Amino acid sequence: MSLKAKFVISFAILLWILGIFIEFVIPYFNQLSYAYPFLSRIYSTVCHQQVEKLIVFDNHSTLVCSRCSGIYIGGFISSFILLFVSKLKIKSGKFMIFASFPMLIDVFLYSIGAYNYSKIFAFITGVIFGLVGIVYIYNGFQILIEKNE
Amino acid sequence: MNKKYISPIIFGFVAGVLMVVPVIKSLGCCLLLPVAAFFSLMLDQKANNDYTKLDIKKGVIFGLITGLVAAFFGTFFDFLITLITHKNDFVITFPKLIETINSFPVDKLTKEEVIGILSGIVENITESGFSSIYIISLFVKNLIMNTIFGILGGIIGVQILNSRNKNME
Repeated sequence: MSLKAKFVISFAILLWILGIFIEFVIPYFNQLSYAYPFLSRIYSTVCHQQVEKLIVFDNHSTLVCSRCSGIYIGGFISSFILLFVSKLKIKSGKFMIFASFPMLIDVFLYSIGAYNYSKIFAFITGVIFGLVGIVYIYNGFQILIEKNE
Repeated sequence: MNKKYISPIIFGFVAGVLMVVPVIKSLGCCLLLPVAAFFSLMLDQKANNDYTKLDIKKGVIFGLITGLVAAFFGTFFDFLITLITHKNDFVITFPKLIETINSFPVDKLTKEEVIGILSGIVENITESGFSSIYIISLFVKNLIMNTIFGILGGIIGVQILNSRNKNME
């Protein structure tokens, strides 16, 4: 995949992440208040937005839950690192399965009541999944592009 | 519209209908649209009895059309339901939205203006069942999200169908 294409994907993920944190930016850019209802609706299509699962800091909360925030931030970190990787060679889906384990175990354990929902756990397991998940998406695009060339 | 694009139109319509069905709509466009784009490619292959290798371009075009059609019909059906019931998700979540906006540390004027716009939308919906700002913003939202997820579904769908057809040879 060309550097330009990788940069576009990284930038798109960065924009998406900035949208999640709009509440944190509104105090500095008041005009963004007008975009808030619209953005809130957009993110509602990709996340349940349960109040108790959002990241809250200084009375401001994210527009998606801790786990989704983690997935997107992990995806962005990975996409940034991949800017400097010329070619990916992933043939096994093992890493993806391993990366999803912490997330699945966390969901399972708090669902059965082993412990209460932890935003930190949700965020960290999301980051792990996002870090690896985006590599597979890149790999998929790379294979598709190569097959078409 | 060219006849070769009939399958993404059909599945775009189906996705548009499902977007307003309670429970199913909670799946969101991140699941509905990619599946619709995938099925549109599959239906096209079956209808033409052509199982040759698909290229990405076709996946992108089919995904895009599926997304556009779903955005149009999804908005249209939402508009119809709102017109009949004078109620929708926006009206239901309105008090929470106002609560959030009131908590913003922004100047009073901006806050009042934003709340004024939103209150106007809710008032229009509850009184007449129609708000132009609501419909336009819903259409733009559907257009952005549905086309993104439709294209992603189309690209992934091409990969899946190509590998499946290769295994069948």
